[in-house]
Amino acid sequence: MKGNPVARLLRHPVVGALCRLVLGGVFIYTSLPKVMHPDEFARLVYGYRVLHPDMVNLVGVTLPWVELVAGVFLVVGLLPRSSALVLGGLLALFIGAGFLALARGLDIECGCFFPFMGDHKLTWDLLVRDAVLILFALQVMVWPSGFLPARRRRARPSEP
Amino acid sequence: MARSLSRKDLRSQPTPSSSGRSTIGSVLLGAVVIVVASALLGIVANRLSPRGIPLLPPSAEASGETPPLALPAGVLGIGLEDALAAFHARSALFIDARPENEYAEAHIPGAVNIPPYSFEDRYLELMEQVEEASTIVVYCSGVECSDSIEVAERLLEIGRADVRIFEQGWRAWVGAGGPALEGPQP
Repeated sequence: MKGNPVARLLRHPVVGALCRLVLGGVFIYTSLPKVMHPDEFARLVYGYRVLHPDMVNLVGVTLPWVELVAGVFLVVGLLPRSSALVLGGLLALFIGAGFLALARGLDIECGCFFPFMGDHKLTWDLLVRDAVLILFALQVMVWPSGFLPARRRRARPSEP
Repeated sequence: MARSLSRKDLRSQPTPSSSGRSTIGSVLLGAVVIVVASALLGIVANRLSPRGIPLLPPSAEASGETPPLALPAGVLGIGLEDALAAFHARSALFIDARPENEYAEAHIPGAVNIPPYSFEDRYLELMEQVEEASTIVVYCSGVECSDSIEVAERLLEIGRADVRIFEQGWRAWVGAGGPALEGPQP
Protein backbone atom coordinates (compact mmCIF):
# COMPACT_ATOMS: atom_id res chain seq x y z
CA MET A 1 0.00 0.00 0.00
CA LYS A 2 2.93 2.31 0.67
CA GLY A 3 3.93 2.04 -2.94
CA ASN A 4 0.46 2.73 -4.27
CA PRO A 5 0.35 6.40 -5.34
CA VAL A 6 -3.44 6.59 -4.97
CA ALA A 7 -3.27 5.27 -1.43
CA ARG A 8 -0.44 7.66 -0.62
CA LEU A 9 -2.45 10.54 -1.99
CA LEU A 10 -5.55 9.54 -0.02
CA ARG A 11 -3.65 9.41 3.24
CA HIS A 12 -1.77 12.64 2.59
CA PRO A 13 -2.39 15.16 5.40
CA VAL A 14 -3.27 17.91 2.92
CA VAL A 15 -5.97 15.72 1.39
CA GLY A 16 -7.21 14.98 4.89
CA ALA A 17 -7.33 18.69 5.73
CA LEU A 18 -9.19 19.41 2.49
CA CYS A 19 -11.72 16.67 3.22
CA ARG A 20 -12.29 18.09 6.70
CA LEU A 21 -12.69 21.64 5.41
CA VAL A 22 -15.02 20.70 2.56
CA LEU A 23 -17.22 18.32 4.54
CA GLY A 24 -17.30 20.49 7.66
CA GLY A 25 -17.78 23.64 5.59
CA VAL A 26 -20.72 22.19 3.68
CA PHE A 27 -22.45 21.20 6.89
CA ILE A 28 -21.79 24.55 8.60
CA TYR A 29 -23.08 26.40 5.53
CA THR A 30 -26.24 24.34 5.23
CA SER A 31 -26.99 24.12 8.94
CA LEU A 32 -27.09 27.85 9.68
CA PRO A 33 -30.44 28.64 8.00
CA LYS A 34 -31.91 25.52 9.56
CA VAL A 35 -30.69 26.64 12.98
CA MET A 36 -32.29 30.03 12.44
CA HIS A 37 -35.57 28.67 11.02
CA PRO A 38 -36.39 25.41 12.79
CA ASP A 39 -40.07 25.80 11.90
CA GLU A 40 -39.36 25.81 8.17
CA PHE A 41 -36.87 22.99 8.48
CA ALA A 42 -39.35 20.89 10.47
CA ARG A 43 -41.82 21.24 7.60
CA LEU A 44 -39.23 19.93 5.18
CA VAL A 45 -38.51 17.00 7.49
CA TYR A 46 -42.22 16.28 7.63
CA GLY A 47 -42.33 16.19 3.85
CA TYR A 48 -40.16 13.07 3.77
CA ARG A 49 -42.90 11.12 5.59
CA VAL A 50 -40.37 8.89 7.33
CA LEU A 51 -40.92 10.15 10.85
CA HIS A 52 -43.97 10.07 13.04
CA PRO A 53 -45.40 13.62 13.19
CA ASP A 54 -44.67 13.74 16.92
CA MET A 55 -40.96 13.40 16.16
CA VAL A 56 -40.77 16.00 13.41
CA ASN A 57 -40.35 19.10 15.55
CA LEU A 58 -37.76 17.47 17.82
CA VAL A 59 -35.68 16.52 14.80
CA GLY A 60 -36.22 19.97 13.26
CA VAL A 61 -34.86 21.60 16.42
CA THR A 62 -31.92 19.28 17.17
CA LEU A 63 -30.62 18.01 13.81
CA PRO A 64 -29.32 21.38 12.53
CA TRP A 65 -27.31 21.85 15.74
CA VAL A 66 -25.75 18.41 15.40
CA GLU A 67 -24.77 19.33 11.84
CA LEU A 68 -23.38 22.69 12.94
CA VAL A 69 -21.37 21.45 15.94
CA ALA A 70 -19.95 18.41 14.13
CA GLY A 71 -19.11 20.63 11.14
CA VAL A 72 -17.27 23.15 13.30
CA PHE A 73 -15.43 20.37 15.15
CA LEU A 74 -14.35 18.86 11.85
CA VAL A 75 -13.09 22.15 10.45
CA VAL A 76 -11.05 23.00 13.56
CA GLY A 77 -9.83 19.42 13.90
CA LEU A 78 -11.47 18.69 17.25
CA LEU A 79 -12.47 15.01 17.55
CA PRO A 80 -12.16 14.72 13.76
CA ARG A 81 -12.94 11.00 13.54
CA SER A 82 -15.99 11.28 15.80
CA SER A 83 -17.21 14.35 13.92
CA ALA A 84 -16.71 12.62 10.58
CA LEU A 85 -18.57 9.59 11.93
CA VAL A 86 -21.51 11.80 12.94
CA LEU A 87 -21.63 13.60 9.60
CA GLY A 88 -21.11 10.40 7.62
CA GLY A 89 -23.92 8.80 9.60
CA LEU A 90 -26.18 11.77 8.89
CA LEU A 91 -25.39 11.55 5.19
CA ALA A 92 -26.27 7.85 5.24
CA LEU A 93 -29.57 8.72 6.94
CA PHE A 94 -30.26 11.43 4.36
CA ILE A 95 -29.63 8.94 1.56
CA GLY A 96 -31.93 6.40 3.21
CA ALA A 97 -34.71 8.94 3.78
CA GLY A 98 -34.31 10.34 0.28
CA PHE A 99 -34.36 6.87 -1.23
CA LEU A 100 -37.56 5.99 0.61
CA ALA A 101 -39.19 9.26 -0.43
CA LEU A 102 -38.23 8.89 -4.08
CA ALA A 103 -39.15 5.21 -4.16
CA ARG A 104 -42.62 6.18 -2.98
CA GLY A 105 -42.84 8.80 -5.69
CA LEU A 106 -42.98 11.79 -3.34
CA ASP A 107 -42.51 15.11 -5.09
CA ILE A 108 -40.93 17.10 -2.26
CA GLU A 109 -38.31 19.73 -1.53
CA CYS A 110 -34.87 18.42 -0.66
CA GLY A 111 -34.22 20.91 2.12
CA CYS A 112 -30.52 20.41 1.59
CA PHE A 113 -29.37 23.95 0.95
CA PHE A 114 -32.46 25.90 1.81
CA PRO A 115 -32.88 28.82 1.61
CA PHE A 116 -29.54 30.02 0.22
CA MET A 117 -29.86 28.30 -3.12
CA GLY A 118 -33.60 28.25 -3.44
CA ASP A 119 -35.67 25.17 -2.95
CA HIS A 120 -34.47 22.13 -4.82
CA LYS A 121 -36.68 19.19 -5.56
CA LEU A 122 -35.45 15.94 -4.10
CA THR A 123 -33.84 14.03 -6.95
CA TRP A 124 -31.63 10.97 -7.32
CA ASP A 125 -28.54 13.03 -8.16
CA LEU A 126 -28.73 14.68 -4.75
CA LEU A 127 -28.39 11.24 -3.20
CA VAL A 128 -25.29 10.66 -5.32
CA ARG A 129 -23.84 13.93 -4.02
CA ASP A 130 -24.44 12.76 -0.45
CA ALA A 131 -22.69 9.49 -1.28
CA VAL A 132 -19.66 11.42 -2.53
CA LEU A 133 -19.59 13.40 0.71
CA ILE A 134 -19.58 10.12 2.63
CA LEU A 135 -16.27 9.34 0.93
CA PHE A 136 -14.89 12.56 2.43
CA ALA A 137 -16.08 11.41 5.86
CA LEU A 138 -14.47 8.00 5.35
CA GLN A 139 -11.17 9.62 4.46
CA VAL A 140 -11.21 11.57 7.72
CA MET A 141 -12.23 8.53 9.74
CA VAL A 142 -9.47 6.35 8.32
CA TRP A 143 -6.69 8.93 8.14
CA PRO A 144 -7.57 11.73 10.55
CA SER A 145 -5.50 14.89 10.60
CA GLY A 146 -5.34 17.76 13.03
CA PHE A 147 -5.87 21.42 12.29
CA LEU A 148 -2.50 21.83 10.63
CA PRO A 149 -1.45 19.08 8.25
CA ALA A 150 2.18 19.60 9.23
CA ARG A 151 1.44 18.59 12.81
CA ARG A 152 0.64 15.07 11.76
CA ARG A 153 3.65 14.92 9.51
CA ARG A 154 5.92 15.82 12.41
CA ALA A 155 4.32 13.21 14.60
CA ARG A 156 4.85 10.42 12.07
CA PRO A 157 7.42 7.91 13.33
CA SER A 158 10.46 7.32 11.20
CA GLU A 159 10.18 4.57 8.67
CA PRO A 160 12.05 1.37 9.49
CA MET B 1 13.67 -0.14 13.94
CA ALA B 2 9.93 -0.27 14.24
CA ARG B 3 10.32 -1.70 17.74
CA SER B 4 12.01 1.49 18.82
CA LEU B 5 8.80 3.46 18.39
CA SER B 6 7.50 4.81 21.64
CA ARG B 7 3.88 4.47 22.67
CA LYS B 8 3.57 8.24 22.42
CA ASP B 9 4.52 8.09 18.75
CA LEU B 10 1.88 5.50 18.08
CA ARG B 11 -0.82 7.51 19.82
CA SER B 12 0.07 10.57 17.80
CA GLN B 13 -0.79 8.75 14.56
CA PRO B 14 -4.15 7.18 15.11
CA THR B 15 -4.34 5.10 11.96
CA PRO B 16 -6.39 1.91 11.90
CA SER B 17 -3.27 -0.19 12.28
CA SER B 18 -2.31 1.56 15.49
CA SER B 19 -5.78 1.73 16.94
CA GLY B 20 -7.59 -1.03 18.68
CA ARG B 21 -10.95 -1.44 20.28
CA SER B 22 -10.24 1.40 22.67
CA THR B 23 -9.78 3.81 19.74
CA ILE B 24 -12.97 2.65 18.07
CA GLY B 25 -14.73 2.97 21.41
CA SER B 26 -13.41 6.47 21.94
CA VAL B 27 -14.50 7.48 18.42
CA LEU B 28 -17.99 6.14 19.06
CA LEU B 29 -18.11 7.76 22.48
CA GLY B 30 -17.02 11.07 20.97
CA ALA B 31 -19.75 10.79 18.33
CA VAL B 32 -22.39 10.11 20.97
CA VAL B 33 -21.18 13.06 23.04
CA ILE B 34 -21.31 15.36 19.98
CA VAL B 35 -24.85 14.25 19.10
CA VAL B 36 -26.24 14.47 22.64
CA ALA B 37 -24.54 17.78 23.50
CA SER B 38 -25.58 19.35 20.18
CA ALA B 39 -29.17 18.16 20.58
CA LEU B 40 -29.34 19.63 24.08
CA LEU B 41 -27.86 22.86 22.76
CA GLY B 42 -30.53 22.92 20.07
CA ILE B 43 -33.32 22.39 22.58
CA VAL B 44 -32.03 25.19 24.81
CA ALA B 45 -31.55 27.54 21.84
CA ASN B 46 -35.06 26.74 20.61
CA ARG B 47 -36.46 27.51 24.04
CA LEU B 48 -34.73 30.89 24.09
CA SER B 49 -35.45 31.81 20.46
CA PRO B 50 -38.42 33.98 19.48
CA ARG B 51 -38.83 31.63 16.49
CA GLY B 52 -38.81 28.58 18.72
CA ILE B 53 -41.32 25.82 18.06
CA PRO B 54 -42.98 23.34 20.43
CA LEU B 55 -41.01 20.10 20.63
CA LEU B 56 -44.19 18.09 20.67
CA PRO B 57 -46.56 19.71 18.17
CA PRO B 58 -50.03 20.07 19.65
CA SER B 59 -51.68 19.42 16.32
CA ALA B 60 -49.87 16.16 15.61
CA GLU B 61 -52.42 13.96 17.20
CA ALA B 62 -52.86 10.28 16.61
CA SER B 63 -54.00 10.36 12.98
CA GLY B 64 -50.86 12.04 11.71
CA GLU B 65 -52.95 13.68 9.03
CA THR B 66 -53.06 17.08 10.64
CA PRO B 67 -50.23 19.55 10.06
CA PRO B 68 -47.38 18.97 12.47
CA LEU B 69 -46.60 22.54 13.34
CA ALA B 70 -48.30 25.41 15.01
CA LEU B 71 -48.66 28.31 12.60
CA PRO B 72 -46.96 31.62 13.38
CA ALA B 73 -48.84 33.86 15.80
CA GLY B 74 -51.70 35.72 14.14
CA VAL B 75 -51.91 33.36 11.16
CA LEU B 76 -54.96 31.15 10.92
CA GLY B 77 -55.17 27.83 9.16
CA ILE B 78 -57.94 26.35 7.06
CA GLY B 79 -58.51 22.65 6.53
CA LEU B 80 -59.21 20.80 3.30
CA GLU B 81 -62.97 20.59 3.73
CA ASP B 82 -63.30 24.26 4.62
CA ALA B 83 -61.04 25.21 1.72
CA LEU B 84 -63.21 23.21 -0.69
CA ALA B 85 -66.32 24.81 0.79
CA ALA B 86 -64.83 28.30 0.41
CA PHE B 87 -63.92 27.50 -3.19
CA HIS B 88 -67.42 26.30 -4.10
CA ALA B 89 -69.05 29.22 -2.26
CA ARG B 90 -66.61 31.65 -3.93
CA SER B 91 -66.16 33.22 -0.52
CA ALA B 92 -62.37 33.50 -0.65
CA LEU B 93 -59.56 34.50 -2.97
CA PHE B 94 -57.04 31.69 -3.34
CA ILE B 95 -53.39 32.62 -3.63
CA ASP B 96 -50.98 30.01 -4.99
CA ALA B 97 -47.55 30.68 -3.47
CA ARG B 98 -45.71 28.05 -5.52
CA PRO B 99 -43.21 28.98 -8.26
CA GLU B 100 -44.66 30.08 -11.61
CA ASN B 101 -43.81 26.86 -13.42
CA GLU B 102 -45.65 24.72 -10.88
CA TYR B 103 -48.59 27.11 -10.95
CA ALA B 104 -48.70 26.88 -14.74
CA GLU B 105 -48.78 23.08 -14.61
CA ALA B 106 -52.02 23.20 -12.67
CA HIS B 107 -53.61 25.19 -9.86
CA ILE B 108 -56.89 25.80 -8.11
CA PRO B 109 -59.19 27.56 -10.62
CA GLY B 110 -59.36 31.26 -9.87
CA ALA B 111 -56.23 31.22 -7.72
CA VAL B 112 -53.70 33.95 -8.42
CA ASN B 113 -49.99 33.22 -8.35
CA ILE B 114 -47.89 35.18 -5.83
CA PRO B 115 -44.62 33.40 -4.98
CA PRO B 116 -42.79 34.94 -2.00
CA TYR B 117 -39.69 35.84 -4.03
CA SER B 118 -41.70 38.08 -6.36
CA PHE B 119 -44.23 39.24 -3.79
CA GLU B 120 -43.87 42.99 -4.36
CA ASP B 121 -44.21 42.84 -8.15
CA ARG B 122 -47.04 40.36 -8.17
CA TYR B 123 -48.90 42.12 -5.38
CA LEU B 124 -48.78 45.42 -7.23
CA GLU B 125 -50.19 43.71 -10.33
CA LEU B 126 -52.98 42.03 -8.39
CA MET B 127 -53.53 44.64 -5.67
CA GLU B 128 -57.09 45.49 -6.63
CA GLN B 129 -58.18 41.89 -6.69
CA VAL B 130 -56.44 41.07 -3.43
CA GLU B 131 -57.82 44.11 -1.62
CA GLU B 132 -61.38 43.38 -2.72
CA ALA B 133 -61.33 39.87 -1.26
CA SER B 134 -62.89 39.47 2.16
CA THR B 135 -60.99 36.26 2.89
CA ILE B 136 -57.69 35.12 1.43
CA VAL B 137 -56.56 31.50 1.39
CA VAL B 138 -52.87 30.91 0.67
CA TYR B 139 -51.45 27.54 -0.27
CA CYS B 140 -48.29 25.93 -1.61
CA SER B 141 -47.31 22.31 -2.32
CA GLY B 142 -48.05 20.79 1.06
CA VAL B 143 -47.32 20.85 4.74
CA GLU B 144 -43.56 20.76 4.19
CA CYS B 145 -43.38 24.04 2.27
CA SER B 146 -43.20 27.45 3.89
CA ASP B 147 -44.00 29.67 0.91
CA SER B 148 -47.66 29.99 1.88
CA ILE B 149 -46.67 31.08 5.40
CA GLU B 150 -44.25 33.62 4.04
CA VAL B 151 -46.83 35.13 1.71
CA ALA B 152 -49.48 35.12 4.45
CA GLU B 153 -47.15 36.94 6.82
CA ARG B 154 -46.41 39.54 4.15
CA LEU B 155 -50.14 40.07 3.58
CA LEU B 156 -50.71 40.48 7.31
CA GLU B 157 -47.84 42.97 7.47
CA ILE B 158 -49.49 45.17 4.87
CA GLY B 159 -52.76 45.18 6.76
CA ARG B 160 -54.82 42.34 5.32
CA ALA B 161 -56.94 40.90 8.11
CA ASP B 162 -58.52 37.59 7.16
CA VAL B 163 -55.66 35.55 5.78
CA ARG B 164 -55.80 31.76 6.10
CA ILE B 165 -53.18 29.18 5.31
CA PHE B 166 -54.30 26.01 3.62
CA GLU B 167 -51.40 23.98 5.01
CA GLN B 168 -52.21 20.66 3.40
CA GLY B 169 -51.85 22.49 0.12
CA TRP B 170 -51.99 21.54 -3.50
CA ARG B 171 -51.29 17.82 -3.12
CA ALA B 172 -54.13 17.35 -0.65
CA TRP B 173 -56.41 19.35 -2.94
CA VAL B 174 -55.61 17.13 -5.90
CA GLY B 175 -55.81 14.03 -3.73
CA ALA B 176 -59.31 15.00 -2.66
CA GLY B 177 -60.36 15.47 -6.26
CA GLY B 178 -60.53 19.25 -6.02
CA PRO B 179 -60.95 21.18 -9.29
CA ALA B 180 -57.74 22.01 -11.13
CA LEU B 181 -56.91 24.32 -14.00
CA GLU B 182 -53.87 23.99 -16.25
CA GLY B 183 -52.00 26.97 -17.68
CA PRO B 184 -50.70 30.31 -16.46
CA GLN B 185 -54.10 31.99 -16.27
CA PRO B 186 -56.05 32.09 -12.96
